[in-house]
Amino acid sequence: MPRTSSPTPVSVPAIELRGVSRRFTDPGGQNVGVQPTSLAVPAGEIHGIIGFSGAGKSTLLRLVNLLERPDAGEVIVHGQDLTRLSAPALRQARHRIGMIFQHFNLLHNLTVAENVALPMRLSGEPAARIRERVAACLDFVGLSAKADVHPGRLSGGQKQRVAIARALAPEPHVLLADEPTSALDPRTTLDLLGVLADANRRFGVTILLVSHEMEVIRRLGHRVSVMEAGQIVEQLDIADGRIPEGSRLGGWLAEFGGAAGGASSAPDEPAPHHLAQESANA
Amino acid sequence: MLETLEELLPEILKATGETLLMMGICLSAALVLGGALGLLVFLTSRGQALERYRAFNLLANGVINVVRSFPFIILLVAISPFTRVVAGTSIGPLAASVPLSIAAIFYFARLIEQTLRDVPRGVIEAAEAMGASPLQIVRHVLLVEARSGLVLAVTVLAVSFLSYSAVAGVVGGGGIGDLAIRYGYYRFQTDVMLITIVLLVVLVQSIQFLGQWLARRVDKR
Repeated sequence: MPRTSSPTPVSVPAIELRGVSRRFTDPGGQNVGVQPTSLAVPAGEIHGIIGFSGAGKSTLLRLVNLLERPDAGEVIVHGQDLTRLSAPALRQARHRIGMIFQHFNLLHNLTVAENVALPMRLSGEPAARIRERVAACLDFVGLSAKADVHPGRLSGGQKQRVAIARALAPEPHVLLADEPTSALDPRTTLDLLGVLADANRRFGVTILLVSHEMEVIRRLGHRVSVMEAGQIVEQLDIADGRIPEGSRLGGWLAEFGGAAGGASSAPDEPAPHHLAQESANA
Repeated sequence: MLETLEELLPEILKATGETLLMMGICLSAALVLGGALGLLVFLTSRGQALERYRAFNLLANGVINVVRSFPFIILLVAISPFTRVVAGTSIGPLAASVPLSIAAIFYFARLIEQTLRDVPRGVIEAAEAMGASPLQIVRHVLLVEARSGLVLAVTVLAVSFLSYSAVAGVVGGGGIGDLAIRYGYYRFQTDVMLITIVLLVVLVQSIQFLGQWLARRVDKR
């Protein structure tokens, strides 16, 4: 069960966004930018970001490793302001920031083991160390038997496990997860959340997770930031899996979450609530 | 027809050698220079690693389009002063290789650029997130993920320029296509025409078969 313990409090945040903003329009002409926003995530925390489509949550996540460059503000990861780094220094910093994606983004012409090895090959690690880390990470996600298979032969859940192994291979401080379960069925989603919670517990990796699925955030997150129109409008402690009533998030759940009781009790059935989808139907 | 074949065998062998020479030169030039140009045009396009060099992208795109606008025979004649400087002469297979190479370089650059567009943006982005430099993205992502498309691009290039090389006969370039024109067409020797066409068909089929076989082999997607 991916219920995780509360993070150990640490004085220096693993991730700190200070007044970052980014004007950005998606191909559909929708404004998905980020208004001047601040966020601090302590080391070891699993922090969820939830919001409707177009709220700017993916953009906010991509600001953390500068896949999107902020128009203003500072992006501090482990005490280092990434916005001030030269291109080579930024690449160096990115070696310790893992990222996983909704569509996995594996290289299909590489085997599973080669995919996991890729980030370490890019940073020029010695071959022996790469072999060791690849074996350890594939073992961690339970895919040692698939090391020499190409990703085309894996299921979606297995592909995302490979992506997690790939992200963990260089021993990152921070793992960014952009809708990591949104392309997966509920059962697979639950399995994967277990893997992520495990990574957080065992390796102490700080996880910043974007999702529009309430269940995903609630099962995994210690804290959650609610985003609307490019801003964080609410921040809640959900380490006990409860969403405070009277909060905006609680209100959303009551409105869109089907069983409003879902706001305070964890159902056994994995049933992620697709906020965005249901709002479209409403 | 068999007699013609025997009689013309030395000519056919010589023509085949000339064709292979012209193809060898222009394909090599296209692979190296056209490949590099196509790669740069791709990398400097919107949303890619070197998009800040937008000026280069616009310029290179313009040049590629201009060169590709020329009907090949006109290009051949138009650049003959340049050909004389490079090859020391403006006739013969070596001279013909110069305009062939120019045309092939820009043709291949466009093919490569389009092939690389098939690599999903997300995969490139994942590599960027890992801290890959633009050069590493080329080597570890683009050339890996697009490799079967790249093999097919070379195949298309080879078939097209086998055909283009026939035009080289105009400047005494020789080759199989030239043989077809001189004997088969100008002298109404239908049997020679048939022989050369059969030879060309066999060559094209072989190139295509080899290319597709290799593309399938390297494609693990």
